[in-house]
Amino acid sequence: MSESPGKSSRGVALRLSLASELTEVRPAILAVRGFLAEQGLCPEELTACELALAEACNNAINYACEGARSRPIEIEVMCNAARIELRVNDHTLGFEWPPRIELPDSDSERGRGLYLIRTLMDSSDYFRAPAENSLRMRKNRLPPSARAAAPPANVEELSRRLAESEQIISEMAEELSSCYESLAAIFRYSAEQGKAISLEDFSRRLLSDLLRITAADWFVLRLVPKGQSRLVVFTASDAPLELEPLEVPPSADPACAAEVRSAANRQDVWFDEHKLLGSDDPLRRLKPGSLGLVHPFYFGDTLIGTVTVGKTVSRVPFSAAQTNVVHTFADFLAIQIVNTRIQEEQVNNLLMARDLQIAKNIQRSLLVKTLPQLPGLGLAGYCESARQVGGDFYDVVKVSEHSLLLIIADVMGKGIPAAMFAAILRSLLRALPELTHQPSELLSRVNRLLFDELSDVDMFITAQLVYVDAKERRLVAASAGHCPLLVAFANDTPVRALSPEGMPLGILPDTPFTEESAELPANCRVLLYTDGLTEARNAQGELFGQERLTDWLRATTVRPRQAEELKDELAAELVKFQANTSLKDDQTFLIMAE
Amino acid sequence: MNIKVQIRGDTLNIEGIKELSAANANAFRDQVRGALAERLKNIDIDMSQSIFLDSCGLGALISLQKTACTRGGTVRLLNPTPPVQQILELTRLHRVFEIVKK
Repeated sequence: MSESPGKSSRGVALRLSLASELTEVRPAILAVRGFLAEQGLCPEELTACELALAEACNNAINYACEGARSRPIEIEVMCNAARIELRVNDHTLGFEWPPRIELPDSDSERGRGLYLIRTLMDSSDYFRAPAENSLRMRKNRLPPSARAAAPPANVEELSRRLAESEQIISEMAEELSSCYESLAAIFRYSAEQGKAISLEDFSRRLLSDLLRITAADWFVLRLVPKGQSRLVVFTASDAPLELEPLEVPPSADPACAAEVRSAANRQDVWFDEHKLLGSDDPLRRLKPGSLGLVHPFYFGDTLIGTVTVGKTVSRVPFSAAQTNVVHTFADFLAIQIVNTRIQEEQVNNLLMARDLQIAKNIQRSLLVKTLPQLPGLGLAGYCESARQVGGDFYDVVKVSEHSLLLIIADVMGKGIPAAMFAAILRSLLRALPELTHQPSELLSRVNRLLFDELSDVDMFITAQLVYVDAKERRLVAASAGHCPLLVAFANDTPVRALSPEGMPLGILPDTPFTEESAELPANCRVLLYTDGLTEARNAQGELFGQERLTDWLRATTVRPRQAEELKDELAAELVKFQANTSLKDDQTFLIMAE
Repeated sequence: MNIKVQIRGDTLNIEGIKELSAANANAFRDQVRGALAERLKNIDIDMSQSIFLDSCGLGALISLQKTACTRGGTVRLLNPTPPVQQILELTRLHRVFEIVKK
């Protein structure tokens, strides 16, 4: 046992070391007791310090493995008028400080040491690092009563103590300044939290400060993207970095990369010249010959990522206090990352809701409020949007007093882009009045005009144009890959399904569109629709289908009906068929009746 | 270890314990067990000279208490000093041992 007391105007300190043997503990502690008695501690304080210190030393010795027994245990004692601090530093593997310290059952012969320390002291912290562990215990002193003055010492003794004390104080000051710096950094970042700074910049700055405080040279921050089990490099001290993502298995064996082991086993992983990184470890390729620490960090039970700090220049291992700073920074970063993620999610949800609202507004604006009517041929339209807005629309353009162009279209896509293309198509069709009586020519013209824009975004449009002449009692139809046009007649004549050939708009720049025509005798019906009707499903999963639609249309011809009335009837049929289901696609139709 | 052992009836009486700590707790326990002849039930430990007791020392006392229990006896701690009384109370073992003050 060797001891070296120090004394200064502010407080006194004692440092002594003892061999890692249980029999060494009592003599060492009696020396500490003697030193503290000199400082005027009362008997209760002396007893508490004596016992807590004994328990701490016994622990350090009991957790030492064979190799570590050759290294001594150091006791540091600091004492001033307000407080006593006792430190026990050892060089063993250390132990896991329990999150809760409770008394064991009364018949247990072990497990009261930490409980006694916690009870006797006002605070206790355990710092663990590969090279050393440090248990720090503090006790506030009782109010001064009649404290005995320290015995006077001669000048030589005094200057020797002073030198010792100065060294101890300078070491403490260094540690204090690192604590202060981390605190100051965290306060600074807390203040910046509300400002618009990217998470990446924020992390880089935080971790650069961490390097400075812990005297490290490099860092790598990996994060687990939401819903994944991979560690992806988020930022690092040396950019650009070409580090592959790492899969995190449920448990990791020692052959795995250090970052994977740390994340999977939920514990710090140290590496240095004794504990080398595996030859395949990406950190070894990045920074050969480094020593350092991988620390996994969590929010609750969720793994957020790993932070790795390493040294290549200095070979001084991280101290217990520096490890503590790494942990503090990582915990703080985890909170920031989770906050940012929550905010991003909220913004995305808002944007999506706004996108849907805009698309709905565009779509609604496309639908004409009152349809132009022809003499003797009534017209009604229906458009029901699915929850996710698509690009269905219909339009009716008056060509002359006795003729109309009926338009129905389905833009393949969702949201604002689909609604925009629907709006553009509608404008283009209305902007070419010279072609309204030539549906196939009109389709090839708009196809050429829209082709580049549509193919750029991999979208296409199916459309059907029907030119109706009430004087001639005739229609001419053209189709761009749209579903058939149905024409039903009275007197049990079969329903005609017109499918003039033509590719959807936006598939090929130059493609032919053909035309088909039909007579419109008395009491006929014309139905333009989108595939949302025939592909509607009932609760059993059955399709509405074209046959059901055709049958319904033929049945309406038994007596004269109004278009408006037929629209309501078909809409009701669709609702009935899809009872207890949710609408998957837009459903749109235009119906013409005598 | 310098302890004094006496037998009085069915009780083993132990005196002279100054310190009971990690360094000597196991030796103390084994020495007392060695002296505990089969017909003895109770162990009286005089703690009036004991200036130090730690958690390992408590472990030894609990171990002896279990031994006495199997014989239908008990461990009595006689006149514990203030530090010993304090650690017994802190760990709530003052309700486990019979503490006798004269």
